[in-house]
Amino acid sequence: MNDLKLDGLGKKERLKFKNLSKDREKVMASTPLDNIKVDYNTNEIARSLHPKLQYVKVIDIINESSDVKTFLLAPNEEKGTKKLAYFKAGQYISVRIRIGKCLYKRPYTLSCSPKLALNNRYTITIKRKEEGVVSNHFFNNITVGSSFVVSAPSGTFCYERIRDAKNVIAIAGGSGITPFISMAEAINDQLLNFNLTILYGAKTRKDIIFKEKLDKLSSHEKIKVKYILSEEESDKYETGFIEKETIDPYLVEENSFFVCGPMELYKHINEVLKEYNLAKKFIRTDLFFSEIEVRREENFNVKVITKDKEFNITCNGKETLLSAIEKNGILAPSSCHVGVCGLCRSKLISGKIKTFDSDLRVSDKNLNYIHPCSSFPESDIVIKLPN
Amino acid sequence: MDNSYDAIVIGAGNAGLISALKLVKENKKVLILESNNVPGGMATSFIRGRFEFEASLQAISGYGSSEKPGPLYKLFEKLDIVDKIKFINLTEAFHVYCKEKKEDYVMPFGIQEFINKMNEYVPNSEKAMKKFFILAEEVQKALLFLENDKNVNSQTLLEHFPNFIKVAALSTDKVFKALKMPKKAAEILSTYWVYLGSPTSTLSFVHFASMLLSYIYLGAVVPEKRSHEINTILAEEITKNGGVIKYLSTVQEILFEEGKVSGVRLSDGKDFKSKHILFNGSPTFLYGKMIPKEHVPKEALKLTNSRVLGARGFSIYLGLNQSPEDIGLTDYNYFIYHSLDSNSEFENRSALKNNSCVATVLNNINPHCSPAGTTLITLTSTFFGDAFDSKVTEENYFELKNQIAENMINNFEETTGINIKSYIEEIEIASPVTFARYGGHPEGIIYGYKLTGLDNLLPRTLNKEKENFIPNIRICGGFDAWGNGFSNTYLSGYRAAKQTLLDMKGEEE
Repeated sequence: MNDLKLDGLGKKERLKFKNLSKDREKVMASTPLDNIKVDYNTNEIARSLHPKLQYVKVIDIINESSDVKTFLLAPNEEKGTKKLAYFKAGQYISVRIRIGKCLYKRPYTLSCSPKLALNNRYTITIKRKEEGVVSNHFFNNITVGSSFVVSAPSGTFCYERIRDAKNVIAIAGGSGITPFISMAEAINDQLLNFNLTILYGAKTRKDIIFKEKLDKLSSHEKIKVKYILSEEESDKYETGFIEKETIDPYLVEENSFFVCGPMELYKHINEVLKEYNLAKKFIRTDLFFSEIEVRREENFNVKVITKDKEFNITCNGKETLLSAIEKNGILAPSSCHVGVCGLCRSKLISGKIKTFDSDLRVSDKNLNYIHPCSSFPESDIVIKLPN
Repeated sequence: MDNSYDAIVIGAGNAGLISALKLVKENKKVLILESNNVPGGMATSFIRGRFEFEASLQAISGYGSSEKPGPLYKLFEKLDIVDKIKFINLTEAFHVYCKEKKEDYVMPFGIQEFINKMNEYVPNSEKAMKKFFILAEEVQKALLFLENDKNVNSQTLLEHFPNFIKVAALSTDKVFKALKMPKKAAEILSTYWVYLGSPTSTLSFVHFASMLLSYIYLGAVVPEKRSHEINTILAEEITKNGGVIKYLSTVQEILFEEGKVSGVRLSDGKDFKSKHILFNGSPTFLYGKMIPKEHVPKEALKLTNSRVLGARGFSIYLGLNQSPEDIGLTDYNYFIYHSLDSNSEFENRSALKNNSCVATVLNNINPHCSPAGTTLITLTSTFFGDAFDSKVTEENYFELKNQIAENMINNFEETTGINIKSYIEEIEIASPVTFARYGGHPEGIIYGYKLTGLDNLLPRTLNKEKENFIPNIRICGGFDAWGNGFSNTYLSGYRAAKQTLLDMKGEEE
């Protein structure tokens, strides 16, 4: 081992080694005794963009139609929220509403330009659903001055200029217009740069949300809007459903399709788009899981285990496990409610579930982890929540 | 509810998980507090569309195999998890491109193979390369010796490891010179500098040589089902052995009673009691924010202030809608450099000037990691200094990320001649902001402090006990002596657990 010739290395280098420890101490000793720098721009931006929670209050309510309202939100400064996080057009916030002893969380797409967030305002647009606990609460109990908690903006139903075509066909049904109004506003505010054609299907004229806004936005050279009514005949509008003929006039060589709306719309559009033989990358959808049908109309016993307590509840095969957990006043982390964000990831100790969740990590699938937000029971269940 | 524990582990990163597992196996009552909702810290995976991306893992070194077990294999064996996780071997060491000179080199695993290949690329490099590996072996042995016996005197070292003593305090460049390493060979050899986040003029030779030897001799692996599988199995083993893991739990403050560590307080106000804390995070925030000022020793302040923040991370995760063969991607890892000289490369990165990256194509070693006819490719770069920090604002954030990503993708395409852009089905971009949020480290650094000057491996190791400023708080993970990397952080966690066990024993006596 001694035969390695290391040119020019000898006593001096050995001494340097001997002094390593002392020299390090010297460096330390000669460093000024200041406070440690703990404020960094990068971390500050991380906190601004992804606050753990945002306290907001309602400062205005706009009636969009008989069953749709837009809520204008501002930071609730008394609760410590000084500003609202910036976002990407198409993202949602998860709204937390306490009703009785239960804490409900619902994702709502931000229906405004991201620019509004820079002025510390958000809008969410909510359609009243007959059985919707939260949407009815919004219609009946939330007024100007009401306050609640929302999550940081989240979600990936967004235009990505590196990935998507420059020409986007947005297909919206009903309240599925919300991400597209945000994208159109963002184009108008020069935050995004692509050609956007919105094909908006509604039942009747009075079901069209944001009509005035959309008409105004469509004067922008990059924005086109077309309404298609399924249950009303009118000279001014196309009637029927969105078909290939509706889409064709707006196509260029390469197009990206963004689809958002009720289940029937997805099913129908899926068939229509088949004719174009598009690569998967050109079709992007925002799923609404509650619309999916697989249900077994039967009550199952569910044992819910948290770090501190165990609960025995029932869950109908028609509802998601998370929905039953929420209804029973059990706290569980959640955000997207469509099996994507992973926040509710839980261990299925026993039982069978039905899920449409493709967003589980491969090892989680193997090790029996599930997303309760997108899982319907098919037997009695024992589940261990992450909290 | 009893809220007191034998030990509290802050952070369920690689080091935190391993330390907790070791402690529960020693029948200690352990609580892990993790601010994210899954275990693993930076070593995690996530899903976009039909793709599951590895968030940070590129290669695990130090594992080896049952026939040739490395230190990490032995550790997993000790913890009874070696049979629970399936690993896949990398097939070649690296493929490095130099854009400026339009050259590229493919290097194999195996010491002899590596030397032979180098001699093909750089004739007459054989002698120096052989010397390099002999020296590296001595270095590795000496480091092991030092680790087992901290009080060894320099005379013993001199007898057993005479060459180690000569190079122990030197930079990689200085030793290359002494070895008469041809310039080109030195450049190809130092391809891996980027994983240590320090150019060869400041990176200690012993660290570099020890890492490269381990990598070339043992090869490298990745888990078949992403690092999330390792984390989940570690978490389940911890729980099975009586440990408690609380997710979405952010520690805000370390609590003291009568001058001694007594527990932690979460951001929601909850307290947990313990006399022992293992901290898998940055000393910057530990001493700067989490420990009340009156309990932070002067030396801790000074040491922390003397250190330099290391590499900031930037990753682009792409799901492509064609197979690697159809696209022309043949290798697992592509090192895309502007210059093979790590020092000029480092300078350029410090100014965000070049668009260098390491691209990994998981399918080329793990063909079923994404659906048939698709490809997972990740482009990762590191920035230094305040290059990113000084540019980013909340308003320009999304566009700045896109610009950097676009430049990096274009540069990959120009350098390799392989088109990937038109196949992008899914894209996600993680910037230093993302890493700052997810990992909770200052400025989004991913490799701990910069390995430089007297903050290199050896001085860190030699002074480690002296720098354990607050009794019963053990720091582990990427900020520990060996720095970042899967192997390093796992081993760091194990060492921290062993130290804590000694601390506990000391109290009993």
